[in-house]
Amino acid sequence: MADRAMTEPAATGHALSPIALWGLLAGVAALLFAWRVGMQWPTAPGDGIDLDRVILFYSTLPRAAVAVLAGTVLGLSGLLLQHVLRNPLAEPSTLGISAGAQLAMTAASVYAPFLMGRSQGPVAFAGGIVAVLLVLSLTWRRGLEPVSVVLAGMMVALTASSISAALILANGDYLFSLFIWGGGSLVQQDWGPAIALAVRLAIGVGAALLLLRPLTILGLDDASARGLGIARHSSRFLVIALAVWMATTVVAEVGVIGFVGLAAPALATLSGARTLRQKLLAAPLIGAILLWLTDGLVQLAAGTGGERIPTGAGTALLGGPVLLWLLPRLRMLEWPDLGAHGASPRKAGDPWLIILLLLLAMLLAAWVALVLGRGPAGWSVAGGEMLSDLAAWRAPRIGVAAAAGAMLAVAGVVIQRITGNPLASPEVLGVGTGAGAGLTAVLAFSAAAAPGWQFAGSVLGSLAVLIAMLAIGARAKFGAERLLLAGVTMSALCSAVITATIAMGNAQSYVLLRWLSGSTSQATGVDAWLMIACLVLLTLPLFLAARWLDILPLGENTARGLGLPVANGRLTLIVLAAILTALAAMFVGPLSFVGLIAPHLARLVGFARARAHLAGAVLIGALLMIVSDWLSRMAAFPYELPAGLFASLLGGPYLVHLLAKGVPRHG
Amino acid sequence: MAIIPFPNRRQVLALAAAALLPPVAASAAPLRVAAIDWGMLETLLALGIEPVAATELIQFRKIAVEPTVPRSVADLGLRGTPNYELLRIVAPDLIVISNFYEYQRPMLERIAPVLAQAVYAPGVPPYPLAEAAALTLGEELGRQAEAKRYVDETAVEITRLRAALPVGSGRPVFVISLGDSRHFRAFGRDSMFGDVLQRLGMKNAWTDETDYSAAAPVGLEALARVPDASILVVSPLPADVGRSLPANALWNALPAVRGARVAVLEPINHFGGLPSARRFARLATAALAGQAHG
Repeated sequence: MADRAMTEPAATGHALSPIALWGLLAGVAALLFAWRVGMQWPTAPGDGIDLDRVILFYSTLPRAAVAVLAGTVLGLSGLLLQHVLRNPLAEPSTLGISAGAQLAMTAASVYAPFLMGRSQGPVAFAGGIVAVLLVLSLTWRRGLEPVSVVLAGMMVALTASSISAALILANGDYLFSLFIWGGGSLVQQDWGPAIALAVRLAIGVGAALLLLRPLTILGLDDASARGLGIARHSSRFLVIALAVWMATTVVAEVGVIGFVGLAAPALATLSGARTLRQKLLAAPLIGAILLWLTDGLVQLAAGTGGERIPTGAGTALLGGPVLLWLLPRLRMLEWPDLGAHGASPRKAGDPWLIILLLLLAMLLAAWVALVLGRGPAGWSVAGGEMLSDLAAWRAPRIGVAAAAGAMLAVAGVVIQRITGNPLASPEVLGVGTGAGAGLTAVLAFSAAAAPGWQFAGSVLGSLAVLIAMLAIGARAKFGAERLLLAGVTMSALCSAVITATIAMGNAQSYVLLRWLSGSTSQATGVDAWLMIACLVLLTLPLFLAARWLDILPLGENTARGLGLPVANGRLTLIVLAAILTALAAMFVGPLSFVGLIAPHLARLVGFARARAHLAGAVLIGALLMIVSDWLSRMAAFPYELPAGLFASLLGGPYLVHLLAKGVPRHG
Repeated sequence: MAIIPFPNRRQVLALAAAALLPPVAASAAPLRVAAIDWGMLETLLALGIEPVAATELIQFRKIAVEPTVPRSVADLGLRGTPNYELLRIVAPDLIVISNFYEYQRPMLERIAPVLAQAVYAPGVPPYPLAEAAALTLGEELGRQAEAKRYVDETAVEITRLRAALPVGSGRPVFVISLGDSRHFRAFGRDSMFGDVLQRLGMKNAWTDETDYSAAAPVGLEALARVPDASILVVSPLPADVGRSLPANALWNALPAVRGARVAVLEPINHFGGLPSARRFARLATAALAGQAHG
């Protein structure tokens, strides 16, 4: 069978063929559905039981239809995007399409409710297409090189969801609206959404079939496509617009359902679909099965008091482990290896001079944050007695923010160097959300668990995720993109656990919500000194072991040849990175992306050697966090917004801008 | 990081009893009070105490509506992360919180003594706790008479409204808030709305367990489980509901909708004190009485 050719020899021992596996899963989904229908089948016709029929026809049946249709649409949309962009990581979430659509809808419901009343679909589409256009134009000069596209996409997505969160926080019932409603619930009460999705799907499939030949060619590299006389850009753009239209319809009708668009095409390839024609059949089908099955299980788990897990989060719980399990069992994805190689970084003239300048900039920022602020009477520069009074409030926050930023930066440097992957970071690999999953596990035992236990849970969670990531990465020769795929999957998995817990709306929800949004608000002087002490204690050994960090990216054999205790060295570094991430997340949440941005910026400035890289990243991370914490307090005074949110608003666009300028990417 | 402790009933009572602050009834200048919790804010206002600062006033005026918050009250920002610097500048003599905000206590106590009142706890009907909170506030702030009077008046008003409800309107009632056009949250026994409903002599149609006053989002089809129930929807309604709810086939098929037994109430604070209880009793009675006549 053709599908066997893809798998490693070791994997041929598995007797179950992919088609049988998917057939079985579809059977389970169908069974769950049949059981549900059977339960609701009107027993005796009559006036009083009319309602049963209504529920069956207007709730149960359309819900199943929407699950199948939305899964198909997402699978197809993901496949088209991945194919056209020749990028195995492209999908509605990683390209910022879902986040863009959600931002447009949030902004519309705040500022132009009449738009939401009439034309939700177009609003969502506008948001999605703007996001993807932004991503593409930013990475155009780099020839839409996949890793850059995904990096830009994730940054656009992050920025968009940060703005959405800020809008909701500043305007709405902030505890519930953001995380519970619209979290990808498939509950239906009429056929409207199903029909809307069916129309999109029919048009999408029709267009995809018409475009089959140009699509096949677009999957080749640009030079060959040009040789074959295809109007590359216009047809590429058409296909992208089509995919965006389909994906944003799902967002508009049922909310954000992550992961299916990423997993379905990947699973199709992993199951042996090789040609585009096969994939066009397999990816949408797998998407449909994934979502239908998930929704069936979600309904099965639901009590009378409501559903415990939004289906949108459930897909990650179900599909995540499947994808993680499959990834290392395959020699390669069909897409060309994106690798982590690029031009070597620019060498700075004198790195230590730049580090001195960064240190000065950080101190300046800390000083400004200390004296400059808003009060009831407007802006003021504090001095004298007033300063010493206010400093008692401001200094701990500045200290905690700086330490947290620096910690994430160090964790980022370590992870990027261990994996030799420029996109790896605590946030991207799910280490931050892993801390959240660990915290959730502790809270499951007791909502009032002591802070020490909460912290222990966070550390164990992030450690478990990091070790799992590296273990998966070590099983086969992992390309950069596959590690990222695993990381995004793991992150989705952990977020699903957190989302599901938050959606229960109980005591744990409030603790987790506060953790997730991240705030330096409760920081005391003791916290600040503790954080700074931890930073110094955990980072100093790294400076002493800088040689490891220099050598490890060169590969295991080289490292061993140079006499490095590879296994022990790695383990030590991993444990350090996990503790640093969990510590920082307690104050700035798991989603600030400073761990990705700071090491990147340090590289782009020109720090190549580990010691300078570490020092530069620490200062940039601290600087970023100080500035974002200050901005988060000033932007909507007296309303204080999460600092992590501003960090992504600050660093994300700058990183994207640097990428767009074509500064050499490091490897 | 600090966490929210969720006290059981005994702890709640202990907390109320052990208000460790010195009574200040005799002092000349009135205490300057700040409120972090909305339920406490409305109770203070109802007792005729004007706080110097409170949280999220923009939303409060929109969602909780009454009592009216004077313009002079400083807005401290979000309830979850109040602006401590501003609060420090306002420099109140006393800060009133609820058990929701215990985690802020260490920070708040650097500014002024903190008085915590618990009204909401899982599985506990909140009305008696709200009464206790009002009395404690009166005690601490030298307004015992006003507090006593307000508690009595509220009880009398609820009794009066109960008597005014037409006979035969004994249908069970769902009290819900709509999250979008497909989901609702139900207010159960341990919510203020559920408790007041019972005091009005009505039956709560939502009998399932609730997690901390309101259940997790539920699909609208769950409303069909009690066919003869009426439905009270607490505002605000999300933006898209106005368009999509009238087109929602299942919604339209609900017996309550077909029988015109649905009413949309003006916004009421979901986690309020006695003023919210009173507001809900008034609005709910008017809506249910209207249905009985209509």
